Amino acid sequence: MFFAMGILMWLLAVSLGSESGFECVQEWSSSFFAKFIYWGILTALAYHLLGGLRHLVMDLGFWEEIQSGNSSAQITIALTIVLSVLAGVWLW
Amino acid sequence: MVTNAGTLGRSGVHDFVLIRASALVLTAYAIFMVCFFVCTPQVTYAEWVGLFSQTWVKVFTLITLISLLVHAWIGLWQVLTDYVKPVAVRISLQFILNIAALAYLVTGIVVLWGV
Repeated sequence: MFFAMGILMWLLAVSLGSESGFECVQEWSSSFFAKFIYWGILTALAYHLLGGLRHLVMDLGFWEEIQSGNSSAQITIALTIVLSVLAGVWLW
Repeated sequence: MVTNAGTLGRSGVHDFVLIRASALVLTAYAIFMVCFFVCTPQVTYAEWVGLFSQTWVKVFTLITLISLLVHAWIGLWQVLTDYVKPVAVRISLQFILNIAALAYLVTGIVVLWGV
């Protein structure tokens, strides 16, 4: 996630810097390699974000039993896969 | 009470609150960005600059970068104190990674300044 932010900040700086920079980023972004990187970042973000939301719910005192904890974890992973597939569809 | 110089919060409870508060800001920004890209399938340079030239987007982005610094700083401290026991390695990693997170924030300020 940390290195992903490095890449995204770099892309932001270049794309906002100048029109030619923007076209350069747009050009690079259409390559398979770039889309794979975007997809990796989005999947990592989805997993991290959903896991975090689950932790917020656990802070409120829910999902603390063995059964509810286990099932909420599995739902989180399932949702991550769904979002990852959606990101893939959107990218390609 | 255990006081620690490596993390960001004044106490463990302060870390707990900071990391969750920053997480909410980051989540809001993530949703905002996804909505933007979904709603504008073909982003042009004009639209892209138009987005970031708006003051409220600049403020939102910079608050998000500050939240990212806080979130990453505390999160990385927790990960490193769990897994990297040798002190010299841990503190140099913390130093490098926190500087990098700070660099992301400053990059955001410098870039958005000119838009």
